[in-house]
Amino acid sequence: MLPDDIFLVSYPKSGNTWARFLLANLMYPEQNPDFGNIHRLVADPDATQKREFDRMPRPRVIKSHWCFEPRFKRVIYLVRDPRDVAISEYHYQRKTRRIADAYPLEQYVERFVAGTTYEIGSWGQHLLTWVGASNGQPGFLLARYEDMVADPVGQLSRIAAFLDVAATPQQLRAAVERSSAERMRKLEKEKGHLLSLTKGSREDLPFVRAAKSGGWRTDLPEPLIAKIETAWAPLMQHLGYELHTSVRGSAEADAMTTMLHGIRA
Amino acid sequence: MMYGVKRVARYLLGTDVAGRTLAVRPDDTFIVSYPRSGNTWTRFLIANLLHPGQAVSFANIERLIPDAEAHSSRYMKRMRSPRFIKSHQYFDHRYRRVIYLVRDPRDVVLSYYDFSRKYGQIDDGYPLERYVGDFVHGRLSSADWGTWAENVGSWIAARGHSPDFLLIHYEDLKAHTAQELSRMAQFLGLECDSKTLRHAIECSSAERLRELEKNQGNAWVTTRNKREDIPFIGTAMAGKWQSRLPEVAVEKIELAWADLLNRLGYPLSSTRRKVDSVAEPSRLAARRVPR
Repeated sequence: MLPDDIFLVSYPKSGNTWARFLLANLMYPEQNPDFGNIHRLVADPDATQKREFDRMPRPRVIKSHWCFEPRFKRVIYLVRDPRDVAISEYHYQRKTRRIADAYPLEQYVERFVAGTTYEIGSWGQHLLTWVGASNGQPGFLLARYEDMVADPVGQLSRIAAFLDVAATPQQLRAAVERSSAERMRKLEKEKGHLLSLTKGSREDLPFVRAAKSGGWRTDLPEPLIAKIETAWAPLMQHLGYELHTSVRGSAEADAMTTMLHGIRA
Repeated sequence: MMYGVKRVARYLLGTDVAGRTLAVRPDDTFIVSYPRSGNTWTRFLIANLLHPGQAVSFANIERLIPDAEAHSSRYMKRMRSPRFIKSHQYFDHRYRRVIYLVRDPRDVVLSYYDFSRKYGQIDDGYPLERYVGDFVHGRLSSADWGTWAENVGSWIAARGHSPDFLLIHYEDLKAHTAQELSRMAQFLGLECDSKTLRHAIECSSAERLRELEKNQGNAWVTTRNKREDIPFIGTAMAGKWQSRLPEVAVEKIELAWADLLNRLGYPLSSTRRKVDSVAEPSRLAARRVPR
């Protein structure tokens, strides 16, 4: 680990790969980032070899799904509406054959809320470790996936400023265009099999899926929306994710609200 | 590859330190804190509750409530479940049941300064103000546990609302030991009458621990081969910073961590209060025992 390393941290299925392409297209457009070389431009500790790490230009940008880690001194934290994360995860787990097509979505969402779908714990807990530990510190930037979808150029410019990467409006726009969902779908068709995240997975299901926000409104049944909102209502509201169901208050929710006092979204 | 071989060798020889790589069990209970926040005192209190028939001392505390930061993975593996374990780790999602101790960082840094001198990490002449800068900016040798704010913040944000997490303020434990210890006992599901509580408190008093340190300090893993002129058991006081910490050092801490200090009910000193708007009193603060 080097002192100027920058970490692109998120819970899985929160737009991390898109952000990696945005950054790679902004910082190294001449490399033509695709699914075959992205791990050398914005590293993935699960895919990038040590030799490739050593050869990366500095400052290195490194992807991570870890909970709070004090050795990460400069962190961009991507957060996405958990209702969309749950659906995206469900599809990804089917694509990578971790669950069968017939696996009940209801059961999946239950596990999602309990934090047992990934070894790193739940969506809410993951986010809270980071904002709880790093809130207000200059080395920490929180970015919402939804804001990136709504205004990718503006958000990428904010991230570039945090990274001290000089970028003209043209360069920002070009990076956004080269990382568009259509273009990434095309890249996935060409070299998707090279990406460690999709290697050996089902080809009938895409890795780059809807790439939009709010899909939960049509894809997630009401009781499952309620399940997610009950678990994290104060946290979701704090992040500006409007609640769809009327969530009953609880002692745990009150305590979570208190915890969020003074934490900036 | 070489790294893997070395790791296996260290494991077999028992020369590694469990720390972050500890194999956690679902029925483990952890006493977690940033260093110098009353962890040893709390270990003694709880060990005395769990084993009222034994004379808890530095000679057996590592068997009763082992220190995951001092022992090898193999040592920890040999302990029978359910284990009670001391830890200084920042948030670890594998820890299910946690008692987290928090102490005013302005007192922590004073205590840590003496500790660092005892451990030979700094010379006696090391300027306190510089040390406070190291403390705030994560430059102490314990930086892998995060800064005070990172350690505390990661735990209370992620788990503060969970029924399996108990937050104890060192200051409350000082002022109302019986009451706070009984909260811990309840949290752990231990039935304790007031006699057991009193006994545990007496057996864990600062005087008694100082006496034990004098006699057993050379044998205890934490203090073995360390300077003997500076005690491990410090003054065990709350609020010492008000008279002992230079104003610029106080400011440095309050400027860096104002939000968290407010949320925990540690009021900022008057100089800073003029600058910062004090956040609404929080439930975390309200849960604390009134003085």
